Amino acid sequence: MIRFNNVSKAYSGGVIALNNVSFSLAAGEMAFLTGHSGAGKSTLLKLMSLMETSTSGSIHINGKSLSEVTYPQIPYVRRGIGMIFQNHNLLMDRTVFDNVALPLIIEGYSHKETKKRVEAALDKVHLGNKLKSFPSMLSGGEQQRVGIARAIVNKPPILLADEPTGNLDPKLSLEIIRLFEEFNDMGVAVLIATHDLGLIARLRYRTLTLKQGSMINDGLIEGMRTPGGDYV
Amino acid sequence: MFNHPEQKLKRSLIDKVFGRITRHIQQAVGSLGDLWRTPFTSMMTILVLGISLTLPATLHVFVKNANSISEHWGSASEISLFLKLSVTDKEAQQLVQRLRLYPEINHVEYISAEEALKEFRALSGFGEALNYLDKNPLPATVLVTPTERSSQVLAAEELLQKIVKEREVEQGKLDLEWLTRLEAITKLIENVVFGLGILLCLSVVLIIGNTIRLAILNQKEAIAVMKLVGATDAFIQRPFLYAGVWYGILGGLIASLSVTLLAYYFSGAIIELTELYQSNFELESLNFNELILLIAMAILLGLAGSYISVRKHIRAIEPTAD
Repeated sequence: MIRFNNVSKAYSGGVIALNNVSFSLAAGEMAFLTGHSGAGKSTLLKLMSLMETSTSGSIHINGKSLSEVTYPQIPYVRRGIGMIFQNHNLLMDRTVFDNVALPLIIEGYSHKETKKRVEAALDKVHLGNKLKSFPSMLSGGEQQRVGIARAIVNKPPILLADEPTGNLDPKLSLEIIRLFEEFNDMGVAVLIATHDLGLIARLRYRTLTLKQGSMINDGLIEGMRTPGGDYV
Repeated sequence: MFNHPEQKLKRSLIDKVFGRITRHIQQAVGSLGDLWRTPFTSMMTILVLGISLTLPATLHVFVKNANSISEHWGSASEISLFLKLSVTDKEAQQLVQRLRLYPEINHVEYISAEEALKEFRALSGFGEALNYLDKNPLPATVLVTPTERSSQVLAAEELLQKIVKEREVEQGKLDLEWLTRLEAITKLIENVVFGLGILLCLSVVLIIGNTIRLAILNQKEAIAVMKLVGATDAFIQRPFLYAGVWYGILGGLIASLSVTLLAYYFSGAIIELTELYQSNFELESLNFNELILLIAMAILLGLAGSYISVRKHIRAIEPTAD
């Protein structure tokens, strides 16, 4: 589903964001991606969603090597990945329905099918009564759930979330994570980048830990410390 | 509903085609709605486009009418043959008979010296003065009307060179200088219209391109989000291309209306002028085909302007995770 093989990314000026990172995430697997600010979490997600290209190494997403993806093919690769962001990336001048419907409209689904699927996705995130609301009328948690509904509405096999609970209180954070667990139970591969160590500790999922661009841990974190004793 | 990610919806070909058509219609209507939501900017662009096209289209109307005038008068050109004073009526009649045998000649009319004097006396207003002359100073004249084929400038000149060699003829006259001038002026105006038209079309493309560029920059964030969720450049470009088409349609309609109104406005003055020359000439505005061509051209220019802009700017917008 996701496979990184010795992937490095260096920015101009010699800043190394990722250094020989290797890992894989199978279908139906859920994992956290953590590390300090600047550790390379966002870069890793950007590489997967083709917002950036790696300097060396290979990345495979849904069986396709990203180095072989041409510019016109990028949208089709992105359709196979549901992306969720801390700042939600919603279109503020469109209703909740229109925001969630966007991936389906892009793929050319009929209005009837789009309506059915959007309503189901919003029901799933408990926003079935907010179809006609605009994002500005919603709380931060609700906006995040709209973003999640948009990410899952076209049933991508992979979900990537960048700090999805960053601005939420612990109760809401847990609700959001429970939603990801539900999708994961249905076979979706979920990778969540987060700073929230408490959340990671409580849920005990596989955790990929980055430090200064290098992968220093891949597995369960016990007592918030890596097997090498390095504090996350 | 969300039982498995691999269970994508199975869509039939009909569904896909219908979905595609529906999406096009939605985007076309949506882009019209976008223009409606920014009425001032939209109206300014449409008016600039309309006025820019009105100028060459109006000049085209004038050229078309000037051509029609020169064709009309050119085809009715006559050759006047002034006979030698020594030529008798009988000799003149023989000349007329010979001229009628020319295949280039359609009609021959003989005006004797007496008839010419009578006519001159009646029309010139010098009737009294003519009484003081000892003899008729006017020669007999033969008016030759060429066939339609030979009535064009060059052919008529060739015919004149031929018939002026007849022994009875003193002088032949084909007053085509003014016609040649008119043709030259019309040609010059045609060239000016063409050059001006090209420049104005270019400015229309640039104006629409710039308007679309501003619209793209205005929606930069929305475009980035669309790219992030898998929209192709073609999908994102489409509403802007439709906007260019709408600008073209509306600008073309304004240009058509303006030209028609201007032609109507000028026609009164032209009728007054042409009545002074005993002519029933009427100014002809753009016909239906020309109106359609004008609107089609406006659409093409709108589309070209928006296409250049979307090709350049939409690709440059890339999503960011921040």
